[in-house]
Amino acid sequence: MSTSNPSRRRSFTPYFLIAPTLVFLAAFFAWPMVQGLILAVHDDEALLPLVAVASVEGDRTGELSQGAAVEILGQQGNTVEGELTSDLLTEQWFRVTAVGTDGAAVDGWAPETRIRVRDEANDGTPLAGTVRPRLGEGAEPLTDVLAEPNERAEVTGSLDDRAEVEITQVTVLEVWFNVRGESNDGATIEGWAPSRFITTFESGEEGRVDRGSDGEFTLRFVERMFNDRFFSPALRTTLLLMAIILPLQFLLAIGMALIVHSRLKGGSGWLYIFSLPMGMSDLAVGILFFAIFTSNGLLNSILDLFGLIEEPQVFLSADTRGWIIGAIVLAELWRATSIVMVIIVSGLQAIPDETLEAAELFGATYWKRVRYIMLPLLKPSLLVALILRTILAFQVFAVVIALSGGEIVTVLANETFRQYFSLRNNNVASAYAVFILLLSLASSVFYLRIVRTQDELASR
Amino acid sequence: MAEIRIENVTKVFGDFVAVDDASITVRDQEFLVLLGPSGCGKTTLLRAVAGLGMADAGRIMIGDRDVTYARPGDRNISMVFQSYAIFPHMTVRENIGFGLKMNNASQGEITSNVEEAAELLHIGDLLDRRPNEMSGGQRQRVAVARALAMKAEVLLMDEPLSNLDALLRLEMRAELKRLLREVKATTIYVTHDQIEALSMGDRIAVMKDGLIQQVDEPSTVYAEPKNQFVGSFIGNPPMNFLRGKVHMASDSVAVAIGGSEIVPSPELRDAVSSFDGRAITLGIRAENMGALNAQEANTVRVQVDVVEPLGAQNLLTVRVGDDTLKVSTHPTFPVSPGDELWLKFPADQIRWIDPDSGEVIAGGTS
Repeated sequence: MSTSNPSRRRSFTPYFLIAPTLVFLAAFFAWPMVQGLILAVHDDEALLPLVAVASVEGDRTGELSQGAAVEILGQQGNTVEGELTSDLLTEQWFRVTAVGTDGAAVDGWAPETRIRVRDEANDGTPLAGTVRPRLGEGAEPLTDVLAEPNERAEVTGSLDDRAEVEITQVTVLEVWFNVRGESNDGATIEGWAPSRFITTFESGEEGRVDRGSDGEFTLRFVERMFNDRFFSPALRTTLLLMAIILPLQFLLAIGMALIVHSRLKGGSGWLYIFSLPMGMSDLAVGILFFAIFTSNGLLNSILDLFGLIEEPQVFLSADTRGWIIGAIVLAELWRATSIVMVIIVSGLQAIPDETLEAAELFGATYWKRVRYIMLPLLKPSLLVALILRTILAFQVFAVVIALSGGEIVTVLANETFRQYFSLRNNNVASAYAVFILLLSLASSVFYLRIVRTQDELASR
Repeated sequence: MAEIRIENVTKVFGDFVAVDDASITVRDQEFLVLLGPSGCGKTTLLRAVAGLGMADAGRIMIGDRDVTYARPGDRNISMVFQSYAIFPHMTVRENIGFGLKMNNASQGEITSNVEEAAELLHIGDLLDRRPNEMSGGQRQRVAVARALAMKAEVLLMDEPLSNLDALLRLEMRAELKRLLREVKATTIYVTHDQIEALSMGDRIAVMKDGLIQQVDEPSTVYAEPKNQFVGSFIGNPPMNFLRGKVHMASDSVAVAIGGSEIVPSPELRDAVSSFDGRAITLGIRAENMGALNAQEANTVRVQVDVVEPLGAQNLLTVRVGDDTLKVSTHPTFPVSPGDELWLKFPADQIRWIDPDSGEVIAGGTS
């Protein structure tokens, strides 16, 4: 029994260490990711429920989709749930006391459409007014006063046109519309909905469901992403950049790491020089390379200096897509190769000196040592660097923006940005982000699987 | 024929002289042990022979070739490293065959050499294993097999047994000795373990502070150390050293030690008498003194401090004035701590040492 044996007392220390990790993972990793994922496939404003009476407690008569055209049959003020927000369409109701048509005292509620305020207190509170006259032939000459600020309330009395009233109380009501429209399954439905969800047109008799208050899961945003005209150029460019940059980058990084590791004179100096670009933000690097390739930039100056060109060449324009790609490749190579190098250098340093000396002693030349000893032993480091770089390559953004403005050459991350900022479509932006995430995940799994299979084959 | 001639080799790291003007000749097929405490330069000297650290001065010849500045791969040598340095990503077969492959040997030669070397080290059944699936002792065997598979004329070993546990070390020691007799390579073997050196080497080169102190056969190094350091470094227990004072007595010379007098052997009298009136150091091994219950000629009166029964012998720690001696006696010799007894110093077993230089004045036995 572990409880009876004091020497086998349970250690809680690991759990103290694990618990914050789990909390951290949940709060800063899992939760935002799930939220992002939901945003990509869930439309928060897809449906507008209609209710039988103008009240949040009313029975549902059906739902209209976002964007559905509606006929506005009527409107009514209604008590606002919770706090008032400024963008609500509202109307004021006044509680008035006056002498009624029949000479009796009247006390009740009337909407602002019926009362003109004539006298206000210093702070703007209405004090008194008159009943607005109804114009036109056959108009109802009397104005009803109601028991509650609600058009369906009991009538407590009537007032004549232009009757003077005293205002004792003011309330603000949200306007609800009674609308008729076609639901998703083609049925025509009628019901009430708060005016904030509906855009009205000039006439005031027609409108459109601006947004709904109910969500639904949908692949609409994902479809919109795939059908977006920038989607396939963005994907193709991203993959092309990756295919060009990664092999070059790894060759360069391995070369640089071997130089650093060779302990030449000033070897550590090489490390500093090579890792310098790590300190620069990708946007800064993009701007730097823009300064090189722009029409009055460094490259043109140098070409001009050596008399190689008559007039400045335009490298970064819609007609020179190849040049832009080339400039992006150069900028990315310059910027991101050092991180790969640092990973490889640390991998090289983990190889014991005696192992390399043994190889040398048994007759391996430098290149054979690289080929048969260093590269195989660097495999874990290379894998880490490859996964890291692939994930980052799917996210390439700032350099592309700086060199192409995000129009001529576009990449997946740029489309996420465009959807979010320019088109204000969070859901499609989220779909792009999730797409990038899935690509990264798939490539990592792919690399890990390949390495594992190789190991399995080798150990057989 | 692969004689190794190390001529006046010096190696300096910054201000530190690791190897100072070392010269040794290792005869063809000889097993030479480089012995010394850590930091004495023995590994540095070995690496200079291997080509892994170039000598700053001097010359290294292997056979008739000057290899001082040759690349390690061009020296026709192979080596067993202290950490084994076997390649973790290769199978045992690939490890053993690596040197042959790098030297563009034919596939058939590689296969036969690998299997032969693996057979010699009894790892024939491990050929398809990887290093991380093997014990330390097995890795050690792989490292040796890899070195032997090269069939190089020169074999270098850098403390190959130091990472093994005591029992395994004992076993490998005997096995290595057998193997090296079989493969007939000229071998330099670096160790700090004097027992390894004594038991394995054809000759031992003792190093200290970058200097070679003595190069001789094990029995000579043991019995006739050239200086106080060699005597104290080799043997367990190490050689005893006593201070004495030389004075002329009537027609002869005698050395006073703790109230007794020791007379040197006739052939050394002149050498010792040159120290007349001065101090001299007397070196003698524990087993060369006789413990007696009564005074005789050339005996010294001592007090017993500790008695350690070791089975085949009893090791006594005794005191003479300020000096402490280790004496081994027959286990039946009756003695207990606090006893006083007489130690006989056979004149021909004594090494007389100049206390200023630490050098032996002249030989003891013939």
